[in-house]
Amino acid sequence: MNSFLAELKGRQGELYHLQTQTLPVKFRSGKLESIKSKELEGVALRVIDGGRVGFATTTNVKDARGLVRAALATATFGEKVSLAFPAQEDFPPVDTYDPAIVELSQSDLVELGQDLIARLERVSSEVDINLSINKVVETVKLTNTSGVDVEEERTRILLSVDIEKAREGDIFLLFEQSEASYLSELQVDRIANSLIQQLHWGERIVPTASKSLPVVFSPAGAICLLLPVIVGFNGKSVFMGTSPLKGRIGETAFSTDLSITDDGAIPHGVRSASFDDEGIPTTHTPLASNGVIKGFVYDLRAASLAGVESTGNGSRGGFRNPPKIAMSNVTISVGTHSQEEIIAKIDEGLLVESALGLGQGNIISGQFSNNVAVAFKIEHGKIVGRVKNTMIAGNAYALLKDSLIALGNDRRSIHGMLDTPTIAVGGVNVIGQVK
Amino acid sequence: MKEKELLLQAIAGSNADYTEIRIEHEARSQVQFQKDKLENLESSTELGGIVRCLKQGGWGIAVLNDISQLPQKTQEAERMASLVGRHSSEAAALAEVPVVQQTVHAKLERDFRDVSLKEKKELIASYNRILLSHDKRVVSTSARYTDSFREVTLANSEGTFIVQQVPDITLLLVAVASAGKTNIEQGFETLGSAAGFEFVLGREEQATNAAKRAVDLLSARSVDGGKYTVILDPGLAGVFIHEAFGHGCEADFLFKNERMAEIMTLGKRFANNELNVIDDGYVPGLRGNIPYDDEGVARAKTYLIKNGILTSLLHSRETAKKMGAIPTGNARAISYEYEPIVRMTNTYIDVGVHSFDEMLAGIDSGIYAIKAYGGQTMFEQFTFSAAYAYEIVNGELGEMLKDVVLTGNVFKTLRDIDMIGDDKQLYGGSGGCGKGGQFPLPVTDGSPHVRITNVMIGGK
Repeated sequence: MNSFLAELKGRQGELYHLQTQTLPVKFRSGKLESIKSKELEGVALRVIDGGRVGFATTTNVKDARGLVRAALATATFGEKVSLAFPAQEDFPPVDTYDPAIVELSQSDLVELGQDLIARLERVSSEVDINLSINKVVETVKLTNTSGVDVEEERTRILLSVDIEKAREGDIFLLFEQSEASYLSELQVDRIANSLIQQLHWGERIVPTASKSLPVVFSPAGAICLLLPVIVGFNGKSVFMGTSPLKGRIGETAFSTDLSITDDGAIPHGVRSASFDDEGIPTTHTPLASNGVIKGFVYDLRAASLAGVESTGNGSRGGFRNPPKIAMSNVTISVGTHSQEEIIAKIDEGLLVESALGLGQGNIISGQFSNNVAVAFKIEHGKIVGRVKNTMIAGNAYALLKDSLIALGNDRRSIHGMLDTPTIAVGGVNVIGQVK
Repeated sequence: MKEKELLLQAIAGSNADYTEIRIEHEARSQVQFQKDKLENLESSTELGGIVRCLKQGGWGIAVLNDISQLPQKTQEAERMASLVGRHSSEAAALAEVPVVQQTVHAKLERDFRDVSLKEKKELIASYNRILLSHDKRVVSTSARYTDSFREVTLANSEGTFIVQQVPDITLLLVAVASAGKTNIEQGFETLGSAAGFEFVLGREEQATNAAKRAVDLLSARSVDGGKYTVILDPGLAGVFIHEAFGHGCEADFLFKNERMAEIMTLGKRFANNELNVIDDGYVPGLRGNIPYDDEGVARAKTYLIKNGILTSLLHSRETAKKMGAIPTGNARAISYEYEPIVRMTNTYIDVGVHSFDEMLAGIDSGIYAIKAYGGQTMFEQFTFSAAYAYEIVNGELGEMLKDVVLTGNVFKTLRDIDMIGDDKQLYGGSGGCGKGGQFPLPVTDGSPHVRITNVMIGGK
């Protein structure tokens, strides 16, 4: 047993130890600006004393006595819980560590960025490009007084590019990113091709009227629809009664074409891990299958409140925070058509790549109302130009139940936690400006 | 070895053109209730540092928790700076500023570090009870208290050595009400200040307001999308000026971008004569205060817009050098994990002359939008969600509205401001500002009531 848990002198406890090395390389306006090396290390101690829970963190990883004192002080006034730390379970290891990422040198990252910038600048000289690449190598150690003693090394690489094209009276901003736990899955070509395609489509600005229209959400744009829905599968929200999905397991809440799963054990998944931040093995959790609600995701605390088992979705987002529920890799079912084929069948509509104001407003109800950041007009099955100053609004639950037109066959990872194809829905309220 | 000696030794050992080290000690606590459960009670400490080296015009940065590694990490930062300098044709340089040797102590009426966890917990529990018991339709709540006391030491190779104590205290009160399936609404109050424990006492009325609003919104009507004349309350107008305009004045996003810099040329008219926009690094008691920024530059009161004309941008030493300006004391970092970038402090629209009644008069069909759920901008385009709103019919306030999302082009919207109120208020919320991955930075923003014509509202 480590010195922290030994210091607890028989009380229940759990120690989370995180070491992170990151190497962000930044380019501004097409030029290399900085390289940063970050080495962070911290520990978090959760204790249960007299049935009450306490929590404390520190970066002083040698001060077992101080951390135990702080955690026990909080436990004195802590919540009475029926929580018990889990015992060690056997689990198949998940691939989380790519030596190819570890071996990337500072110069490799600089070259990767310079190559991509050069490729984009060849297409248009009038663009301003900001780019960052960040390599992450982390070691997680988790031990508790019930016998869990696990350790895992994980790698990640994140590439983000934003492009701005400013003309008199118009600024066109584009953003793309790719995140991967294995270098071979970083989508450099896709980012380049997508940005080049969007720059081309965006040359012309076209008006939009205010009316109800079909909208094709690209995988990146699909977050507009999926974010409110994903929030509803949080087991804590369900327990608290703030999720509209509460008490509806077995009910058809979505189109029968739509299935949603969460899986923390997908090989090479961006958020994959062998165990979650409470030592629970990660797993495959069906959330909705052919439109029928199947389940929710839980961490230890929410599971003990709801009287169910943790689904291995306890997540801390660093050593500073206590665990809470987070999705690992959410996967949306695919359809049979390409995005181009879906667009070809639409007489008038929008293709939405990104929107402003995500997560703002009353998302728990499924309501969304976003200003489109990057969106294109579809007329007679073709993209005819870019739309500006246009809002889209609707209710994600209603649209995904009654108005789903098609799911694409182009599923990919976006925002590091969601694998989704293009999603086309009808009857979205579009509020545009005709000039 | 003492921390100060270690720090000075590391700087002395560096061969970079400029070396800067910031070390931060933090003690913080948090109390959070969710529904009827104490979700988190915590007490934590942290120590970390950051080294920034500039060499041959390139930046190398190293972040560490193990302060004993400072000399080695400084050398690593210097090597990375050289690598950047060799690769880049764009050399960074710094505007000259006075060398400062100063210690700034926080003055707190009642130091939250001396308040027991028990008292903190009981206070937040009492607010949570108010939220929960207001109405049976309140299905969930969140009552969160945070405090943080940081002692930040900044030293650089020019001889600056500043120690600043930075207190921060916040309170967030949220009620979630439900009337079945998808009719779920939130009401919230958010407070933050660079103050002591006294700041969070006596907030019962805010708790009641949050719960009442969540319940009222259940029966409020969804706004019809379209164009309206809108009156923004001081809270939402403050968020608007911070998000939609203030970020555009942060010179780090345009100092290497000529086309963008041209759009933000000083001397250009952006609004009518009545509009004045200010970023002020020190307004007593406010959350955005910083006596010295994270490059050791003293605070300033900067007019971004004076009588409708763009008069200044916000600068770091690097952007000021490149653009021939004077550093404004706006280089800020949220913690030792980050290098300073150009940020706002306390940002507001200055008072005008109009009363609220004068603004209402003459609006046949409009919207009074209050407080912000959130806001996002993409340079010229902005989107804000009002927490709640009222319709305005024939010059009078009417029924409550929900789902009010305001959007538009910031330059056009600034020109469309036609009245500025005489009732300025500034707010420091419990969250903060986010930029470049750095969130939350304590800031304050505010405004008087502001009337804007032709605002696009997205509804249901």
